[in-house]
Amino acid sequence: MSRVRRILQSDHVSGWAFAFPAVFLIFVFGLVPVVWSALLSFQQTNLISPPKWIGLANYKALAHDPLFAQSVEHSLVYTALFVPISVLGGLLAAVALNRKIRGIRFYRTAVFVPVVLSTIATAIMFLWLLDPNFGLVNFLLSKVGLGPYGFFDSINGALYTIVGMTVWGWIGFDVIVYLAALQGIPQSLVEAAEIDGVRTWSMFRNITFPLLGPATLFLVVWSTINALQLFDEVYFLTKGGPGTATYVVVYYLYSLAFSQGIAGYAAAMAYVLLVAILCLTLVQLWIGRRLVYYAS
Amino acid sequence: MTTQILTQTGRPAHEEEREAGRFLFSPWHLVLIPLAVVMLIPMAWMLVTSLETLNETRHFPPVLLPHTLAPGNYSAVLRQAPFARWFVNTMIVTVATVAGNLLFCSLAGYAFARIKFFGREVVFVLLLATLMIPFQVVMIPTFIIVKDLGLINTLNALIVPNLANAFGVFLLRQFFRTLPVELEEAARIDGASRLSVLFKIVLPLSGPVLATLAVITFLWTWNDFLWPLITIYTPNNMTLQLGLTTFQGTHQTATNLLMAANVMSMLPVLLLFFLAQKYFIRGIATSGLKG
Amino acid sequence: MARVALHNVTKQFHGGTLALDDLSLEIADGEFLILVGPSGCGKTTALRLIAGLEKATSGTIMIGDTAVNGVSPRDRDIAMVFQNYALYPHMTVYRNLGFGLRERRTPKREVDRRVREISTILGLDDLLKRRPAQLSGGQRQRVAMGRALVREPKAFLLDEPLSNLDAKLRVQMRAELKRLHAKLGITTIYVTHDQIEAMTLADRIVVMSAGQALQIGTPQEVFSRPANLFVAGFIGSPAMNMLRGRASARGSADTEITAGELRFTRPGVPAGEIVVGIRPECLAPAPADATHLPGPAQPTLDLEVDLVEPLGEQALVHGSVAGTAAHSGAEEEQSILAEPSSRAPVTAVFPAGSLPGPGDRVRVRVDPGRIYLFDAATGEAIW
Repeated sequence: MSRVRRILQSDHVSGWAFAFPAVFLIFVFGLVPVVWSALLSFQQTNLISPPKWIGLANYKALAHDPLFAQSVEHSLVYTALFVPISVLGGLLAAVALNRKIRGIRFYRTAVFVPVVLSTIATAIMFLWLLDPNFGLVNFLLSKVGLGPYGFFDSINGALYTIVGMTVWGWIGFDVIVYLAALQGIPQSLVEAAEIDGVRTWSMFRNITFPLLGPATLFLVVWSTINALQLFDEVYFLTKGGPGTATYVVVYYLYSLAFSQGIAGYAAAMAYVLLVAILCLTLVQLWIGRRLVYYAS
Repeated sequence: MTTQILTQTGRPAHEEEREAGRFLFSPWHLVLIPLAVVMLIPMAWMLVTSLETLNETRHFPPVLLPHTLAPGNYSAVLRQAPFARWFVNTMIVTVATVAGNLLFCSLAGYAFARIKFFGREVVFVLLLATLMIPFQVVMIPTFIIVKDLGLINTLNALIVPNLANAFGVFLLRQFFRTLPVELEEAARIDGASRLSVLFKIVLPLSGPVLATLAVITFLWTWNDFLWPLITIYTPNNMTLQLGLTTFQGTHQTATNLLMAANVMSMLPVLLLFFLAQKYFIRGIATSGLKG
Repeated sequence: MARVALHNVTKQFHGGTLALDDLSLEIADGEFLILVGPSGCGKTTALRLIAGLEKATSGTIMIGDTAVNGVSPRDRDIAMVFQNYALYPHMTVYRNLGFGLRERRTPKREVDRRVREISTILGLDDLLKRRPAQLSGGQRQRVAMGRALVREPKAFLLDEPLSNLDAKLRVQMRAELKRLHAKLGITTIYVTHDQIEAMTLADRIVVMSAGQALQIGTPQEVFSRPANLFVAGFIGSPAMNMLRGRASARGSADTEITAGELRFTRPGVPAGEIVVGIRPECLAPAPADATHLPGPAQPTLDLEVDLVEPLGEQALVHGSVAGTAAHSGAEEEQSILAEPSSRAPVTAVFPAGSLPGPGDRVRVRVDPGRIYLFDAATGEAIW
């Protein structure tokens, strides 16, 4: 067999031939931009005219930018609320849904469906549901003597309203993961614990919850990463307002790059976000490694 | 890791028997019913509003059961906005993206799973690394690339960057590795090329995981907002999510029409969900258990 | 420690499967009782009913002097070893052992004392700080037993605890179990499909099939005086040879029994179709000159040898004799390579020494007093 033919039929060639389309696409649109963004962050550019190199000026400006500080604060507050509420809520809902009573399929479906709806569709639903004048929620609140509330128009309440809305939309995801994990607990383990004498709360605390460790860790990490990237709802519902009450990092980033054409600064912000997410994830995983038991 | 379809409950048999006996009512219903209500009310309210006349939407206290149904709202939406166009655009983008992913991720996933080629490990780690990067970091350069390719404001801008997703490659590679390699070896001894082995032996055995990838990609693409927002600005080229926001802008007070538009935008995803619930759930559960 | 009893217990599952059919058992205080039978016979179901993991459809379950039908497992004061051990994977061995005691509010010092005592008995002292994933199969099994025993329960239930161990370890653990029981004397109910385990460990055996107890007795009783065809065919390895035969009256009290080539008489057997059972150990090579044997002449059979399996001191000689085979119902599988023939397959145990080869014809003899007779229609033994 000729050398050329041997090479052509070799695993290296066929391996690369198979992998090339996906690898090329992912590298071009997923890896190269990462490096490019780093370069952008050292430039001053509006994506149209030639850029100017300004070194670390963007990063220095970030440190002194009050709107950025506000955005960071809002992103953190949102995350600090969204993650525990949705993960814990998901756990409780999963425990409630993990039984074979009448209609359980219906209840589970009811909890899952919001997950497949888009952020915009959910936002539109809630915009109307929470309407200050004609919304159902204000109507129900008025029946108990409360409200009416502006929800998305309230400086203090807008961010919390977004928390509530996104928890509604995502709790089903947590439920699915937890339900799968709960059902992964071997029946014989539960029975052995029963025979050992555990009562309901002790069963949960000593057996169920520890064995859900990996699922909990995954959900906390995943939810945190997503929460820090909050954008769609802010763009659609509040545009960062009222005032700057719901300015979050990604919204600020977007408006800088695509509304105001300040792309270099935005890229720097994106990098800060990336670093923050990476650090937070590593910290969570490190804590998780110590606390969570993994089935080998 | 198995992918249970959440039909069993994994609890002691006698507890289940006890509860199955109390078929009609269990204390847990006290928790489950309010939960279901909270989950379903927003959609129910949207549906009701979508069928109301404009006057009834302006009613306070809100009308729970409209006196006159106005299904004409739905056709009004189609007339007052390029809704059908948006729908078709989104469908094109989604189907193309799903098809591309199925093809390219299968090829790559198979290569990473079964073919030893130079640099395989390093490249795979790099692919996985891209999953960790938030979209906002790559969004600006990707915009520049797409702009330089002249694709801005076309559907291709939405399709091309998403034709292969690292998650899909990862998912399929993991799955292919669980298949018995002897099947493929036997086929190769019988004379089949690697391509044949992939398409005639491996893929036919991969139905469920391919379905899962298709469903997840469909969902993600259909619901995508930020990227279309950045790359498309002509109403006729918009996807549904983007179109809905402009519709809301122009029809701020016509909530009945807005709700009708919203309902229509959800239908394909809801339909897919009910038909392929198994695969949605499996996809989410596996990513969670592997996480 | 206490007695355990099942009175007329029936268990029907939701799909309609009848797992237990009017089963009644009495287990004495401190006894080691084994439920044995093929898979699906209901033995594990019976065990789980005693544990409280399933509810009986009808009948009463007694632990001690109380009926425990509605009582949940945690309140029955029993302990169980599962087939896959079910150790808490996220707890150390020490915590696994002490968990049940802690849950019952036993004071810490007492827990420590009992855990260390059991750990010494079972040889787990060096493993207390490890997690189950770091233990071998045999070690895990001992931890599972320790977890059960440390609670000093009224009854100790074991569900095929040795089946996940390799053969050598299994034999070793069998002996340890027997020693443990002799030392601690806890009422033990044990389930297995392995009749050798049953024979070596039990004080009494319950042979089960299709949800019913076919015979309850000591290993020796069940072996030497099987009550019916199934028990006779299930207990004993290699399995009892069975031939179709006929009992015909011969004037006086004696009945003549014929099965293939075999012919002998026995008093008091009703005439009709019967099954003749001969244990392989009871077939010995017949010397060429039969007159040298003491006692009355033993009937002989012509054995056409098919296969010989040497076992060291002995050998299994498989072959066929004239006649028709009978089935006990306890057979696992039919042989796929055996050709259908007009002869009945028979196995004999020969001492090692000059062994026949495949194709040889040997004459074997049997002591008529050790032949079993069963009614062909009912399967009941005829004494």
